[in-house]
Amino acid sequence: MHGLDQYATLDSPLHRWEARYKIIGLFVLAFAFAFVEDLRLTPAVFAITAVLYGLSRLPVSFLLGRLKIPGFILLGIVAALPFVSGTTVLASVGPISITQEGLASAGIIATRFICIITISLLIFATDTIVNTLKALVALRLPPIMADMILLTYRYLFELRHYLQTTQTAVRMRGFRNDKLSRDKLGTLAALMGNLIVRSYEQSERIYKAMILRGYGANRVTTSELTSGRRDQLALAGLLTVSLLIVLAQLWLGGALG
Amino acid sequence: MHIPDGVIPATVAVGSYVVAGAITAYAVNNVNKAGNAQEQVPKAALLTAAFFVTSLIHIPIPPTSVHLLLSGLMGALLGYFAMPAILVGLILQAIMFGHGGLTTIGVNALILGVPALMSHHLFELLKNRLPEKNGLTIAGFVAGGSGIGFSVLLFFAILIGTIPADMLDVDLERQAITALTIAHLPLILVEGVATAMLVNYLKRVKPELLKGLSDARA
Repeated sequence: MHGLDQYATLDSPLHRWEARYKIIGLFVLAFAFAFVEDLRLTPAVFAITAVLYGLSRLPVSFLLGRLKIPGFILLGIVAALPFVSGTTVLASVGPISITQEGLASAGIIATRFICIITISLLIFATDTIVNTLKALVALRLPPIMADMILLTYRYLFELRHYLQTTQTAVRMRGFRNDKLSRDKLGTLAALMGNLIVRSYEQSERIYKAMILRGYGANRVTTSELTSGRRDQLALAGLLTVSLLIVLAQLWLGGALG
Repeated sequence: MHIPDGVIPATVAVGSYVVAGAITAYAVNNVNKAGNAQEQVPKAALLTAAFFVTSLIHIPIPPTSVHLLLSGLMGALLGYFAMPAILVGLILQAIMFGHGGLTTIGVNALILGVPALMSHHLFELLKNRLPEKNGLTIAGFVAGGSGIGFSVLLFFAILIGTIPADMLDVDLERQAITALTIAHLPLILVEGVATAMLVNYLKRVKPELLKGLSDARA
């Protein structure tokens, strides 16, 4: 498990940027990146991402660690594209051919993937989860969703710890999770059911405690978030960059004559 | 069963956000109609956390092992809360582990959420119509199996249907989707059986959980 607030207290332009403006600006930029379908735009996309990540002062090792697991999933898709997609054959060995279009698609997808993950990391790792949620509620995220995110995040680690303890206890009683059988699936189902029942019972106690602390009486208001001219200028800058990327893609794609 | 960032075209990603947003609004509206939404929020949140953690348990299917999605069970237990719960799970997965992605939250919410809502209705329908003896087991099996089955179908249909560079012809696309879905049949069966076992466990230990969170009255 990974704490989201690990680098939330660093001092950088991105950390100082007011959360609402940061979320809108970076979110729009991520979608502008997703719009890129021309290989010639990928160096610009990489450069913008690198500048923003550099500004955030987040460690590069943090980013590499985050790219590792989803990178494996993407690798399967990207590795297959040069062989199954496109018509212009660059090289072939027996029935397998590598195509130019497939290679280009793989390059574009890999660029979009790396850059969008980096941008999402900038949104969520440069502020505390509580501040980010306040900003999301101010941006009209339904309060039910915000409460659920916060509570789920809060108890995820606790339930994970409980699962590990229970799994150890089950193993110590001789259970080996090596081969699928009806009995073993039954044991695993009971383990899952136990976790579900425990979380349900705990939620009833949590609700009572929340009511005692005034849950539902006060809602986050936008007055808790203060922004200045710099925040607005930074947003305007990022929206302009996003627009330029989209226009460049449309121009390169022939949609703008 | 997540589509990562950068794989699908931006138009599909934006369109999915809009559709997933509309379905979530519909689900939240139904949750609010039940009249006790505030009380159910901690239950839904902790059950979401429990499902999140439960999906980390390995199920051995030689030569490999798999994780259950349990979207069918989420539909059966959470009712309309399943859609916001899945969205919360996807948001946390995207921001904590980089699984799925930011621009693909909408499409992933559709892949998991729509089948979960279907499972909710199937579970309620079968549970109430089938004989008491094996009704709950069958309802659990159908909800669990169909939940992941539809998710697998949607996942491969979207993934293969949006691959760029004029990839494959229509017949080949259809064959690939069918073949990949069939390859997931063992997983669908295991998910169905595990869900049936789970609902029977919950019937013995905590039967009130089977009422469905969005339908339960305080």
